[in-house]
Amino acid sequence: MSESSPHLVVRGVSKRYGPTTVLDHIDLTIRRGELVTLLGPSGCGKTTLLRAIAGLAQPDTGKVELAGRDITHVPPHKRNVGVVFQSYALFPHLTVAGNVAFGLKVRGMARREIDVAVDRALSLVKLGHLASRRISALSGGQQQRVALARAIAVEPDVLLFDEALSALDRKLREEMQVELRRLLQEVKATAIFVTHDQDEALTMSDRVAVMNKGRIEQLAEPRELYLRPASLFALNFVGLSTRISGTVLSADNGKVDVETKVGRLSALGNFQAGSPVIVAARPEQLRIGGEDETNSASGRVRSVVFQGSRTLVEVDAGAGESLLAELSGRDGAIPGVHDEIRLSWPVAETFAFPMEAQA
Amino acid sequence: MTRAAIIVCWVMAIGLALFLIIPLLVIAAASFSPTPVFDLPLTGASTRWYGRIGRLDGFWPSLLLSLQIALLSTVISLVCGTLAAIAIARGKLPGAGIFATALVSPLMMPGLVLGIALLQGFRAVGFTAPWATLLVAHLVITLPYVARTMISGLARFDFTLIEAARTLGCSYPGSVLRVMVPALAPSFLIAGIFSFLASFDNYPVSIFLADVRTKTLPIRMLQYIEEAPDPTLAALSTLILAGTVILLFVSDRVVGLHRMAGTSD
Amino acid sequence: MTEAALSAPVAAPAVDRERLTAVGFVLPSFVIIAGVFALPLMLLLGVSFVDANGLTIANYKRLLGTPYYLWVIWNSLRLGLLTTIIAFLISYPAAFALARARGPLRSVLLATLFLPLAASVIVKAFAWTILLRSDGIVNETLMALGIIEDPIRMIFTETALIVGAVNIFLPFMILPIYAIVAQLDSRYAEAAATLGASPVVTFFRVILPLTLPGIIAGVALVFSLSVSAYVVPTLLIGEKYPTLATTIAKAYLLAREPGFGAAAGVVLLAIAIAVVALSARLSREPK
Repeated sequence: MSESSPHLVVRGVSKRYGPTTVLDHIDLTIRRGELVTLLGPSGCGKTTLLRAIAGLAQPDTGKVELAGRDITHVPPHKRNVGVVFQSYALFPHLTVAGNVAFGLKVRGMARREIDVAVDRALSLVKLGHLASRRISALSGGQQQRVALARAIAVEPDVLLFDEALSALDRKLREEMQVELRRLLQEVKATAIFVTHDQDEALTMSDRVAVMNKGRIEQLAEPRELYLRPASLFALNFVGLSTRISGTVLSADNGKVDVETKVGRLSALGNFQAGSPVIVAARPEQLRIGGEDETNSASGRVRSVVFQGSRTLVEVDAGAGESLLAELSGRDGAIPGVHDEIRLSWPVAETFAFPMEAQA
Repeated sequence: MTRAAIIVCWVMAIGLALFLIIPLLVIAAASFSPTPVFDLPLTGASTRWYGRIGRLDGFWPSLLLSLQIALLSTVISLVCGTLAAIAIARGKLPGAGIFATALVSPLMMPGLVLGIALLQGFRAVGFTAPWATLLVAHLVITLPYVARTMISGLARFDFTLIEAARTLGCSYPGSVLRVMVPALAPSFLIAGIFSFLASFDNYPVSIFLADVRTKTLPIRMLQYIEEAPDPTLAALSTLILAGTVILLFVSDRVVGLHRMAGTSD
Repeated sequence: MTEAALSAPVAAPAVDRERLTAVGFVLPSFVIIAGVFALPLMLLLGVSFVDANGLTIANYKRLLGTPYYLWVIWNSLRLGLLTTIIAFLISYPAAFALARARGPLRSVLLATLFLPLAASVIVKAFAWTILLRSDGIVNETLMALGIIEDPIRMIFTETALIVGAVNIFLPFMILPIYAIVAQLDSRYAEAAATLGASPVVTFFRVILPLTLPGIIAGVALVFSLSVSAYVVPTLLIGEKYPTLATTIAKAYLLAREPGFGAAAGVVLLAIAIAVVALSARLSREPK
């Protein structure tokens, strides 16, 4: 099987609980060795999709294929998946090694091979010295590693992480993100992460699926997701942005002119004249000063927040609209609060989204 | 806390411990009485009373009956009570809270009243075989102990553990066996021991269901005490205490007394 | 709304199956509790309104209208109240010491609680008859110490009854209180002290309210057990202290007056239910 051939295929999967549609015809294809994140707010269906892949939730319609095999109706214990649960779900009556060996034992592996595999899994997560410890004697970060070792030890076709890092404190979580990505690439694992944390999604994944209301709004590489959000929801959920509402005046070949309360702006998008839209741009595109061939607006500085390598400036543009600019230290003078300034940004980095899709 | 308060607390605790344990020590001592009038074996001990236990009138059938009823009712209650506790803990049951309260409510009801109620009830439906009525009645005595312990045990059980076992290659029944059973074993043991003891020691319910030939051990013992108390009864009591100590010791090894203090409230 | 109504049947089978399993799981226990507990108690209520001539309230008239039986009811309540109060006064401070105990001392103290709790009531009551006999150990000890000259009569007195009852029901008081006290965060008391509360104020405003759930549970349990105790009064005081429990037993086992016995049972049950209801209400109220 080649590196780029589909490894995990989710086709038209739907799931309802009573009147609520949790998954709405989900299609998702993941290549072998790929790290994909399902990103979205709570209730968007990301965990249900993960559970459907693990076999812990039965979809109402659709198919799930893993490693060339239709597993839609295969029970979880015959799917060869590895799951790292949010609560870790480590067996309290077993030691660290006992937990890691669990999946191998039920697979009927020989004792000696189990010992070797357990040692290898534990040394991968750097916990070899704690093999005989009780679970209750471990810290949260150590438990997280045991859960990972346990899932990896069975050499699953896909590793599934359900908010697996969310219980760790921030510093530890950021360290684990980097380490986990390195480790997964090292063992050439195919993995799906479920998270509501955009930083985790951008750090860990080759591709990110932004989910909302049971649908995948956008499936893209982190860079593309950030630079070319496909929907207002994706724009809002990942990163900061300046957003101004307005009405399309004229449309021309993927470009629209929009009348807004802060002036006339141009943006990328296909709309008919008269459509209500939201015009948006990422804050780092905004610069102080006005140039030709760019969008621009002016206002009074409301707040200046210094964040180390960057400074966020919020400008009150009047009529209830505000602009958010991210200025790096090298951009020269940082304005003060109450200063009147003019901000401009390139048309090619300005997007228009339909108003009614407001998240 | 002030020093005086701390001293009062300790005095009370030590006094309480002595007060609770002394009757048990006395009865054990009296069982070695050299004379038939409960002398403490200060001048010489005798073990002859132990030899006489078996010759007490109707002792063996009563012991056998009490063991049978206690074991069977405990086993049945463990099965029924655990199943009910699982359903209650999973939260898929409408009115689970009310049912949980109903399950443990016999614990707070006077045993004697339950006894006469069952006597009336069994008579009303023509169910009068003493052995069977005793067994059925003891289910109501043991079930609340099991339900209370298992509900609190299951409340601490993380059902994700079963999902984890399934994704690791265990079938559903296999996961229950390998994960849920070991995790709940301590609760199971505590529930079993306390419901066994509750049944084995029960007097107020059994007295109304027993007949001349079918008497549980507590009924028999009360009869001995009222008729002719002698150190033989102290010897029998000491053996029952020793059995209890062994049960508690085993559960302490397996579970820890501290854990039992938390669950038997 | 319409869409929800249309789509509901699609997911219904899965939910139904789970609910059905749950119902199947509780069914055996439900049958036991309903058939061998609730129904017989209702039948008992019915029987208490019946005598040889048919439907009547004569049983209750006799029970609640004759001074003798009012005294009997008072005896039961008195036994319950005295036992509960004394057990509480001993248990409450002791629970704090127990919660502070560590290591082997804690194990020993807990063992002295659990062993009597698990020990047979009849065995313990029997032990007290031995202890309190006129030639028993308590008398011999007191005489040896020169406190008394002649043996005093202890068995078959109210003192004997209360001492025995407190001894037997004490573990049911201290364990629920201990369970709460052991979880009590000492920082509450420290916080109260930093806010300027004296130890006495801290106790009544902070410690006591926080431990109230354990007190309520222990008091309710000990009262409902001791008010209906049968073995203890039978062995330690006998005929001269008739209680509701001994009256019930007599009505059924000797006098063959099921209607009257049932009425006494209903009164005892009512007391127990009142205690449970009151304790449930008290522990629900935010304090």
